[in-house]
Amino acid sequence: MKRMFACLLSLAMLLALVGCGGSSSQPSNSGDSASSKEIVIKYPTFQVGANTAAPVVAKLVEEFNAEYAGKYRIEVEDVPGDANYADKIKVMISSGELPPVVYGGGYKLLDLALQADLVVDLTDAVNADPEWKAMYNETWESADCRDGRIYASSSEGQLIGYYYNKELFNQAGIKPAETWEEFFDNCDRLLAAGITPLAMDTADGAWCTQLLLGAMIAGSGDEGLEFMNTSYPTNYNIPSVVDAIAKIQKLYQTCTTLDANGGAYENAANNFFSENVAMICNGPWMIGDFSDTSKTTEGFSDKVGVATYPGGFVYDAPIEGMFVTKQSDPALEEAGIAMVKFFTSPKAQQTALETQGMVPAGATVEITQTALDAFPLLADFLEQASVCEKRGNTLTGLMVPGLEDTFSAELPNLASGTDTPEQFCQVLTDFATANPVT
Amino acid sequence: MKQRNTGWIALFLAPTCIIFLLIFAIPLVMVFATSLFDYRLLPRTFEFIGFSNFVKLFTQDAKFLPVLKNTVVWIAIHCVLHVALGTILAFILYKKPHGWKFVRVTYMIPNIISQSAIAMIFLNLYNAQYGALNSLLKAIGLEHLQHNWLFDTATAFPAVTMTWFIFAGYTTTLVLAQCLSTDESIIEAAKIDGATSFQIDRLVMFPLVKRMIGTTVIMAATYMLQMFSMIYITTGGGPGVSTANLPLYLYTTVKANNYGYANSIGVVIIIVGFITMTLINRLFGMNKED
Repeated sequence: MKRMFACLLSLAMLLALVGCGGSSSQPSNSGDSASSKEIVIKYPTFQVGANTAAPVVAKLVEEFNAEYAGKYRIEVEDVPGDANYADKIKVMISSGELPPVVYGGGYKLLDLALQADLVVDLTDAVNADPEWKAMYNETWESADCRDGRIYASSSEGQLIGYYYNKELFNQAGIKPAETWEEFFDNCDRLLAAGITPLAMDTADGAWCTQLLLGAMIAGSGDEGLEFMNTSYPTNYNIPSVVDAIAKIQKLYQTCTTLDANGGAYENAANNFFSENVAMICNGPWMIGDFSDTSKTTEGFSDKVGVATYPGGFVYDAPIEGMFVTKQSDPALEEAGIAMVKFFTSPKAQQTALETQGMVPAGATVEITQTALDAFPLLADFLEQASVCEKRGNTLTGLMVPGLEDTFSAELPNLASGTDTPEQFCQVLTDFATANPVT
Repeated sequence: MKQRNTGWIALFLAPTCIIFLLIFAIPLVMVFATSLFDYRLLPRTFEFIGFSNFVKLFTQDAKFLPVLKNTVVWIAIHCVLHVALGTILAFILYKKPHGWKFVRVTYMIPNIISQSAIAMIFLNLYNAQYGALNSLLKAIGLEHLQHNWLFDTATAFPAVTMTWFIFAGYTTTLVLAQCLSTDESIIEAAKIDGATSFQIDRLVMFPLVKRMIGTTVIMAATYMLQMFSMIYITTGGGPGVSTANLPLYLYTTVKANNYGYANSIGVVIIIVGFITMTLINRLFGMNKED
């Protein structure tokens, strides 16, 4: 009896060990619900909580679940922060198991997933739907297509300028600069008026700072503009880049808040919302936040103006869309395609536009009067952007994978003066040449 | 009988051995093996290159040696100063001064709080704009001492060190427990012989708790070899690599999709750990019998 009990116990322990490995028959990223017909799409996303796109995603998830009730259901998994999201997806790519739908964003995830042969070819699905096909323009194709095949579908454009506090500008007696000389003069006038000119950052890819830096590079001349339209550069030791880095160093030391060195986007945004600084670089998705009283004061949106960068430059970068990943269950792939089609449809893009002021990606998506009335800043910005002849991608959007972290880690040395501009550029060059993208 | 028991022992040990092999031993062998390969995700590469990764680490990678130095220095600080701090406090508390139980409990609290939470606290404490430290310095007229503590090259390393250095709760608890379990008669005998409090601590108590101190030194060394979250949340290893350690450097290398190179860093971590444990064992005579 005792022996039999001991045998059963050891067998149970061994079986428990096997059970820990999980089931291979069921896809690890989804499961059937109790109804056994409804397919669950697990969707990890950072566009939750305080993220500017959170209301849009929540609304689309709700609408999708309602439309496909009983057939498909999206279960959102909160991932705090876009940097953490990109890291999570990269780890999942290396393990070969991705969620059914991935938001590519500006994180260069599509190419990584393609290298690992984990992406579903959407060409046939897109071609079968005239409305979906019609949205693909040159910008979409550069972001979402590879070798003539369609792998992703975009939902938002990336037209980026900068915002300024009109009241603080009036106090200093200035208006948005048309040249970079005027821009730096504006900074001096703001300082003279006791106002901190710029919201800057160094952490998490230094989003606001790299926008300012990239615009300076683009505005320096043909060399700089070409640089800002070259993917995966390996040489940062060119005059236009070194010169812009030097200017950024000076701005860190004289024209921004103390917590810019070490601060992330949240610190920069908070300084702008709190009217501690006069200017911040960011895209139209921030427009909705200016009316959000949980982030800023009532009436703040009336104080905000928008401008394109000096020298007639605006960021107009293709932004990778959502893509579907290969799953062991073909039905889950179909569900993923349905989700991507829904989330990037003209209707969804208009929802994002009217909810948050996000510029649609689709050429055929109408900028509705509702959106323009709700977000007059957006109307103003689109009008200014339409006449900008100089356009390019964001600096970190051009970088080789991993360089963004080095850039972010090295910026405090630049800001404190430990690195010279030349040394800083050399660090970037060393990393890019050691980790090229072929 | 012995033969029959051997079979049962093997059977009950089997789950543990299988888990050990699957989760620890096999991955460990894979780390060593793949460190000899050029193993990347983009472009997809898996090519045997021998010890090239290690040669590159030690001769061409400008970041590696400073990161290794940071790791070794932190291990040394943690094993020596941090453990000394905890031991001194334990030696004070075992004499049961007034409030000793309260101190024993409260000093342990930081060690049971999540490292991420503590890192966020220090991130805000050290904030150059609104942090409590700079605000305090300004309030007492020492504005000239204000710094961007975590992101100024001169202060970043000590600032990050302070996020864990003073929290020696585990050391204090373990050494104190050992002290309290010591036979009172030994202490009484020493007092009768005319030994001072310091002499009792140095010549009687310290030899008795030496092995436990050695254990806490081992814990301190392994803690520093694994340290990641505190650095990641506060400075991210910056400015530059002035606060980066080997685990964080391994993580950033993985993010660059260079797995072979990252595993070579992993091998270095293992070797550093092995050397550290060997030295500690020899120093404290952990393998000697009493």
